[in-house]
Order: sequence, then structure tokens, then C-alpha cells
Amino acid sequence: MSKGARDRANARRVVEQQKAAERRRRVTIWTSVAVVAVLVIAGLVGWATLSGQEKTDAGKLTTPSVAVDDSTAFSVGSGPVVVDLYEDFMCPICHQFENTTGPTIKQMVSQNKVTVRYHPVSILDRASNGTEYSTRSAGAAAAAAVDGKFLQYHDVLYANQPEENSDGLSNAKLIELGKSVGLSDSFATAVNDKTYDAWVAKVTDTFSSRGYNGTPTIVVAGKQVQGPNQTLPTTQDFTQAVTQAAG
Amino acid sequence: METRQQSTARMTAAWPWISTVARLGLAAVFLVAGGLKITDLSASGRAVNAYRLMDFETAKVVGAVQPFLEIALGLLLLIGLAVRLSAIIGAILLVIFIAGIASAWARGLQIDCGCFSKGGDLAAGRTAQYGLEILRDVGFLVLAGIVMAKPRSRFSLDGLLMGEQ
Repeated sequence: MSKGARDRANARRVVEQQKAAERRRRVTIWTSVAVVAVLVIAGLVGWATLSGQEKTDAGKLTTPSVAVDDSTAFSVGSGPVVVDLYEDFMCPICHQFENTTGPTIKQMVSQNKVTVRYHPVSILDRASNGTEYSTRSAGAAAAAAVDGKFLQYHDVLYANQPEENSDGLSNAKLIELGKSVGLSDSFATAVNDKTYDAWVAKVTDTFSSRGYNGTPTIVVAGKQVQGPNQTLPTTQDFTQAVTQAAG
Repeated sequence: METRQQSTARMTAAWPWISTVARLGLAAVFLVAGGLKITDLSASGRAVNAYRLMDFETAKVVGAVQPFLEIALGLLLLIGLAVRLSAIIGAILLVIFIAGIASAWARGLQIDCGCFSKGGDLAAGRTAQYGLEILRDVGFLVLAGIVMAKPRSRFSLDGLLMGEQ
């Protein structure tokens, strides 16, 4: 190859390299712009989805007439010490708490020591294979409350608690259990129409906004009661908290 | 015996494949993490709220936006668009998650980190595995680091657009 030919070949290679570098630069810029745009749009879609869901919930919201505490709970008893119980009907530890400390609470209610406010929340909707048992059962409990049988229905739901990560009880079964405690057609209609399901979402939001994130959450006179290391309180822990609050 | 040049050449040939594995692994991490949360946005919001780092209204928005971001980022890494930038953004997200978990740990909160779940509540008697969760996220951070250092990988849209494949 002559010197001139070599120079021309070199020059061509340099030009090609520059072109390739230029192309890489352009591609990098535009793909980066695309990535940022996609992420911004994805974020906005998330935000829009949330506000859409909240709007739908607000539109469907039917508040049970008998609810107390900012319409997020059902009150049992009329004692001086207020006990707030946040429970999910799918939650096995809630069942355990009801079994161990439930009788004591009922006794305190009948002795007119406490007022119990039951907040039926739905934080375990994921644990029923998509049937959202937590929401359905809590909505059914609201319907039972409206018909004056909250506590009876609450107890029968725990007595028939389904396994976590099963389908949960069907609506038909929820209605059948309602009939077993004397609830009638208006209850069945509310269960089938999901009348109080949006309200359950509101109760759950209120629960979160108060800084609680597990069930059962047991609050006596505004103070959360826990065992050592944030475990489930024993009946003794609970009784002690009530006695202290009663002064 | 292999010369130094040969082994360097071999590494040069291997990097795009290593990066491909790291990129697709990181894509899977974000797709799974986002996919698990996107079906229940209110649960995702509660999980964010459980960290007690912001008020509930903000936590709800963050919880709703996060899974969409994760899935979008997972898809971008999967197709390989602006791979280095995507990996940097992924790394930033991971660092934020690690910081969040560490702060929950430091404050003694007993929460489910919500990394691969809707998080939030932790049943009584179960202890949070913060150390393991941070370790896992650091592992993901290593994947992101590989992709950031060697963004050229096989089967990427970047490669196609730059005319390398």
C-alpha cells in the first residue's frame, strides 16, 4: 500500500469512529430521556390509580348508622374506661386474643367497667386468594351491627374463622352464620350488595393514620397495650391496664 | 499457558454476558417486587406508613407510586434501554430501601419490611429479619453495580440502537 492509500484508509477509519461515537452519544441521550419519561409516567399512573380508587370508595361509602368514634367502630358496654380493639377477622392472633382475653373483656363490660369499641379492619385481604375475606367479613359485621347483633356475629365469625391463605368463608356462609345468630334478610342483602365494604376501607385507613399497623391492636384509654417486646398482651397485662386507667 | 493478553481478551468477551445476567436479574427483582404490591395499593401505602417516616397521606401516595415505578424500571431493564441510567436509578431506590429498613431497625420498630410483600403488620411472636433483608438488598445493589460499571450487555435495545448487535 502506498503512503497516500494508507493515509486515506486511516482518515476513513477515524471518520467512522467519530460517526459511531456520535451515534452512541445520540442514542444515550434519547434513551435516557425515554427512561426518565417512562418512569415519570409510571409514577403519575400510580398516583392517578390511587386517587381513582379513593374517589370510587368515597362514592360507594355507606356508613353504618350505629358506628361511633368518627364512625369507625361499634361500641359495646357503657363503662368509664374506653377500650379500642382493632381486629381483622382473618387474623389468627386476634382469634387467640379473643379466646384468652375475650371472656375477661365481656365480664368487664357486664360489670360496667369498660366501653369496648370494635374496629373491624381489613389488613389481611391478601391472605384469602383474592376473595378479600377480611373486607367481606368486616362488611358483614357492620351489617350485623346495624341490625343490632354486632357482638354475636363477631363471636360466631371467630368461632368459624377460616385458615389464613384459604379462600375464606363464602358470602353464602357469612349469611348462614348471620341467620344462626338471628339476623335476617336485610343483613343478607347488605352482605351480597357489599354495602359496607367501602366503609371497611375507611376504618382501615383510620387505623393506619393513627399509627397502628398490626392486628390485634389493643388500646386502653388511648394507650396501646402490649406484652414484652411488642408481643400480644396477656389477660393480666390487659386487666392491669384497665385497672390503671380506672384510677 | 494462557498469556495475560488472552485472559484479558477472554474477560472482555465475558463481560457482556455477566452484565446480561445481572441486568435481567435486577429486572426480575423489580418486576416481582412491584408485581406483588400493585394488586393492593392501599396495603402498599400502609406498608410505607408502618415505617413512620412520613404522614399517612404522603405514605399512601408513595405506596401507590412505588409499585408502578418498580414495574416500569423492571421492564426498562428487561428490554435494556439506557441501561446504565436505569441501573443507577435502581441503585438509588435500593439505597433508599436499605436506609428505610436500617432506620426501622434502629428505632426498634417491629414491622415487615414490605420488600417482597405488602408488609406493614408483623404478627405477634415473629421478629423482623432486618439484617437478612438488608443483606439481600445489598446483593441486589451488587447486581446494579455490575450493570452500572459494564452497561454493555447482550439482547439489549441499547445495543440494537447503537448498531452493536
